[in-house]
Amino acid sequence: MIMDDYKFLFKVVLVGNAGVGKTCLVRRFTQGLFPPGQGATIGVDFMIKTVDVGSEKVKLQIWDTAGQERFRSITQSYYRSAHALILVYDISCQPTFDCLPDWLREIEEYASSKVLRVLVGNKIDREDREIPTVVGEEFAERHNMYFLETSAKESDNVERLFMQIAEDLMKQARSRDLPRYDSNTTTIDGKTSTISDFSCCSK
Amino acid sequence: MHFEIMDYELPTNFDVVVVGTGIIESIISAAASRIGKTVLHVDSNNFYGGLSSSFNLESFLKLNIEKRKSICMEHSSLNDTETFFPINNSDFTLDEVTHQWNITNKNKNYSDEENSAQEDIIAKEICAKKWLKDDLLKESRKFNIDLTPKVQYARGDFIELLISSNIARYSEYRSITRVLTWFNNTLEVVPCSRSDIFANNKISIIEKRILMKFFTSLDDNEDLIIKDYASKTYKCFLTDKKLSKNLIHYILYAISNSTDSTLCLEGIGNTKKFLKSLGRFGKTPFLYSMFGSGDLPQEFCRLSAVFGSVFALDQPIHGLILEENSFKSILIGKQKIKAKNFVLGLNLTPDFFLNKVKKKFISRGVFITNKSIMDSDNEPLTLLLYPAENDKNPCTVLELPWLSSCCPKDTYLVHISCNQINNPEDDLKHCVKNLFTLNEDFKAFKPLIFYSSYFSIPTNSDENVNLHDFNNLFICPGPDSELDFVTAVSKAKELFLKMYPDDEFLPRAPDPEEIKWDGDEEPSDIAQ
Repeated sequence: MIMDDYKFLFKVVLVGNAGVGKTCLVRRFTQGLFPPGQGATIGVDFMIKTVDVGSEKVKLQIWDTAGQERFRSITQSYYRSAHALILVYDISCQPTFDCLPDWLREIEEYASSKVLRVLVGNKIDREDREIPTVVGEEFAERHNMYFLETSAKESDNVERLFMQIAEDLMKQARSRDLPRYDSNTTTIDGKTSTISDFSCCSK
Repeated sequence: MHFEIMDYELPTNFDVVVVGTGIIESIISAAASRIGKTVLHVDSNNFYGGLSSSFNLESFLKLNIEKRKSICMEHSSLNDTETFFPINNSDFTLDEVTHQWNITNKNKNYSDEENSAQEDIIAKEICAKKWLKDDLLKESRKFNIDLTPKVQYARGDFIELLISSNIARYSEYRSITRVLTWFNNTLEVVPCSRSDIFANNKISIIEKRILMKFFTSLDDNEDLIIKDYASKTYKCFLTDKKLSKNLIHYILYAISNSTDSTLCLEGIGNTKKFLKSLGRFGKTPFLYSMFGSGDLPQEFCRLSAVFGSVFALDQPIHGLILEENSFKSILIGKQKIKAKNFVLGLNLTPDFFLNKVKKKFISRGVFITNKSIMDSDNEPLTLLLYPAENDKNPCTVLELPWLSSCCPKDTYLVHISCNQINNPEDDLKHCVKNLFTLNEDFKAFKPLIFYSSYFSIPTNSDENVNLHDFNNLFICPGPDSELDFVTAVSKAKELFLKMYPDDEFLPRAPDPEEIKWDGDEEPSDIAQ
């Protein structure tokens, strides 16, 4: 097993309506690609990118919805243990903005109350904007969220979005204000070394 | 290109349609999706897991009210060659959930003049936090209350499947801290490991040696055991081994989770399973999933979705359409969805395929209490295997501390289950009476019950299913009374291999680092 060279690992999850560009944001950030190749998203669970915050290496594990948002059927377990949550809408599509309260309800129900929440208006490269920046800003402020407008296509603010999240989570980690996911749990990865307390059956 | 905001129309052609999100359905869904089959996975509930689900306190309290109405179907969409089989929508048959609060919303003031100052101090020491009903309701989302709680053997088939399929990365587990039994009217810790046995002061040094020898000898003389004890009970075998009464109790009722009538080979198998799982992740052989057992089916659904399955909860599922000699489509809302294979939970199976047999149930009790059934320095996660008593079945008691992410701090969530004889309250009352108190006397030694609930889980296996000659319909049994998911895993595998005999069952899913990406894009496209 390769020892990873990072100090912090944060789980970032994306939510929002289908088609707002969640996968594009992730692929743009982690691979610098747009549009993402169609076939390859099958089997992709989460993407990983290690970034430098100050002198520290921070590993971001970025989870996508796997299409379960299409019929409002995201598993609750998707939200568990998330450190940051990115709620995405499409600035050229009013209904994706109108659904935000529904998403917030779901987030409040299943995510940790301390999760870092970021509202993202994506597709600012488009000419047919329907949601003015200030409307997004106000919504974010009202719900105590960070706000950023991005274009995965033009790579506007994408790096900044994830770097901001990494920096903020680092700050929280330093002040011990992260959602507390108790480290005493067992992660089953099959690599766990066996404590041989009772080796009777193997004689 | 403009994306649709929300699809209300499901795609209409699949390899497999899976109906219901119980554990077996979810494993099959993941397995089919994993080998590249197109899968539509639907549920008529607006939550995952069906009878294996977990709920926060508020949702749990509403379970009775939210019974689904049966849905009328539309025959108009059928043509002459088609026969319609309405699916049985008595889906969520928890019709007798009772809820009792043993605390009120009024703060009972312990510093009343009647109480002496000294008693007040004791009250504060013993019960650090006084809970009111509203306090618990305010913490509603910290509860994850299982309908069908499960623990997993660290080396059982379920955990091995999680590892081999790489699904383990979706969740975290907590080791069960201790296994208890009820013996001579008191709670006893069951010695699990070598160090436990040596530390145990209830058994003599001689007994310790005998017990160690017994454990190490289980693999020997297997042929002899098979020959001599094929039709005899495990209890008989243990007695013949000249084990003392309390050793027999530990091995029979706790370690092998057996009863007086369990056959010898089954008992030995269970004992070995227990011993084999020791020391892998913790001091006992058992693991419990954080946030409750209800997350377990979801892990498989997530994998299924990652490999391309379409998921839709809260669907008006009407029934299956038969044409000639096989099922051709399923009617969901007004859509007729075609598939080659159909996988259905037993509770959704059209009546036509069910033999009339007596329904079986698990009696369930759920309790919120103020402290553990047995004092401990840390916050223990306890499994108590309560042996059969007089005319009562053995009970499984699982006590979860807040560290399991199933209840708020300063409370315990207790699940009790047994195979039903009369009704839940009656089946469990002896056990509840021995473990808890309802009397708000702060000097009481036993945990105080804040809230209790009783209900029944239908647990019919597929022995009463008769599929005649329809070979593209697969029926998944509902919850069972096993401690773990061993039966569920083997059933899912069996059904999957019946559907796709030449394919591998849940091969390991790649880690993100291992995925080969399309070579379409030029490297120069990499930003910055």
